Amino acid sequence: MYRYDEFDAAVVRDRVAQFREQVQRRLDGSLTEEEFTPLRLMNGLYLQLHAYMLRIAVPYGTLVSRQLRQLAMIADKYDRGYGHFTTRQNLQLNWPKLAEVPDLLDDLADVEMHCIQTSGNCIRNVTADHFAGVAADEVEDPRPTAELIRQWSTLHPEFSFLPRKFKIAVTGAARDRAAVAVHDIGLRLVRNDDGEIGYKVLVGGGLGRTPMIGKIIRDFLPKDELLAYLEAIMRVYNLEGRRDNKYKARIKILVHEIGTDAFIARVEAEYAKLDGASVNADPAELARIAAYFAPPEYESLPAVSEGFEAAKARDPDFARFAATNLFPHKVPGYTAITVSVKPIGAPPGDATSDQMRALADLAELYSADELRITHVQNVVLPHVKLDDVHALWSALVEAGLETPNAGLITDIIACPGMDYCKLATARSIPIAQAIATRFADAERQALIGELGIKISGCINACGHHHVGAIGILGLDKAGVENYQITLGGDPGEQASLGQRLGPGIDAEAVPEAIERIVDTYLDVRAGAAETFIETVRRVGLDPFKPALQPREAQLEAA
Amino acid sequence: MGKRPQEALIMSANALLGGEVVYYAAGGRWSPHLADAFVARTEAEAESLEAARAAAEAQGAVVEPELAPVGTDAGGRLVPSHYREKIRALGPTVRTDLGPQAAGENAHVSL
Repeated sequence: MYRYDEFDAAVVRDRVAQFREQVQRRLDGSLTEEEFTPLRLMNGLYLQLHAYMLRIAVPYGTLVSRQLRQLAMIADKYDRGYGHFTTRQNLQLNWPKLAEVPDLLDDLADVEMHCIQTSGNCIRNVTADHFAGVAADEVEDPRPTAELIRQWSTLHPEFSFLPRKFKIAVTGAARDRAAVAVHDIGLRLVRNDDGEIGYKVLVGGGLGRTPMIGKIIRDFLPKDELLAYLEAIMRVYNLEGRRDNKYKARIKILVHEIGTDAFIARVEAEYAKLDGASVNADPAELARIAAYFAPPEYESLPAVSEGFEAAKARDPDFARFAATNLFPHKVPGYTAITVSVKPIGAPPGDATSDQMRALADLAELYSADELRITHVQNVVLPHVKLDDVHALWSALVEAGLETPNAGLITDIIACPGMDYCKLATARSIPIAQAIATRFADAERQALIGELGIKISGCINACGHHHVGAIGILGLDKAGVENYQITLGGDPGEQASLGQRLGPGIDAEAVPEAIERIVDTYLDVRAGAAETFIETVRRVGLDPFKPALQPREAQLEAA
Repeated sequence: MGKRPQEALIMSANALLGGEVVYYAAGGRWSPHLADAFVARTEAEAESLEAARAAAEAQGAVVEPELAPVGTDAGGRLVPSHYREKIRALGPTVRTDLGPQAAGENAHVSL
């Protein structure tokens, strides 16, 4: 876990003091709202439908217990006792009061946290694989890279007024759990033929109103050249990215308009001009950062835990949890546990302050004090002994956090939608709740298998609907909420964008349509091992199209 | 009486300090109650409401003032026409313990 040095701490405290003055000047009338808005956004403070909203950065999704406890305290002291984990591994509070936000930020700074880079046209909080450092399929922990980028990009004067926001994600594993192909820059840590570690660099991916899959612009970038190469990309974007139209201002549009080859040529030309040595971090600094992410001291344990196996045999509920919410750990005798923040029928990603405290306690007891926030809006306890899983699960049951649905149909990503968000065109959360309730039966969920439903309440796509195996987009159709369904999206290493299944449908019709899409899948899949996305890839959309027609029309046609 | 606009209009905004939804009421004050909202029913009133909106924006005592169409129910109570403004009048539909609805406010408004 990265610990602030004096410089980091001073930067954050200075920023809080600045913001305190800025708020005061807004309140006494010396700043207009127009002048104040960019200042509050630079501190993560948005205005939503019912209140302000504060987005708190959780760099690469990693937290220690005392930080989560502080977040719980803050949620109680300044908000309504809960927070919302987002698809960018951050935490949002939905009800802060403007005048209290400077004090809130000071309380955050007490645990080395802040809201910098959670808004505005800068390089945003860098995201990473939530199983970083523990995944068995990992080349290298992506978090030292993410932290290096954070240090380089925080308040970077050249890149604080980009044409538009800029999102970077890093993965170090073969299986892409960080959706790097739909980020402005995606980095994959890879090993070359000589056994050296470097980066595969993707640029120009993104969701929103113009979804694109990132293009590979370097197959192998030596690790120590990262910052200079990123700087070259950022310079090309900063100069050539469009500033005339905010909807065409992301780097994906630039890459698309000039073409990948031309973009590569510009980046390489810029890179050749840069004095790499003056930009790149020196190896000692890289080693210093990496040391913060050293694994905890694991015990030497057998790969199989007798206690764990016996508990599974004894308790079918526990066995179901163990089958869905455990992830293979690179160290024998350990596992990484996904704690689902998706109890059936609850808003996806909302955790109460009591739940946060319970998770902090459990992380301290069982997971080397560490937690991860996932872009799927869940929490991971990354270092749990198999011997401890049953005790931990019993505590999760107490906290209402034992839902055995990680990766299944009820593990739905949903943006806040029109229940909270000013930009939304329709609600997202009630759709997620209705679908989860419909598919509540755990056995049926297990039968259906891995299936990601992702719901956005507007075309900005915070709910990642474009890369949902089933994507749902809420729109306003002549004053009525209307939902478009897409199939075939995938955020992973075989990234693909979903295709529209047909015309939009009313909110009430969505659960039934999903039911029929799932029934079709179960009918046509080539065995239980073929996942939903694999079936869609094999058979295409046609077999699923009748699912959107009213049941009567289908019967008549039959 | 002047020409009627297509729909009656009210003006809402968010309070500067707390961010809660407020309505522009008679006399130019801001009220947390939808029932207090000044309703522009004529073209002339709509124009003056728009002028008040521009003035409120410039003056900055509230944040993001917007006009919204409104109707009335059988009991004569104001009901925002669009679901977005209905949700603002109530609070999050997924958390009925929060927002104006938690205090029983605007119970006559339904989505």
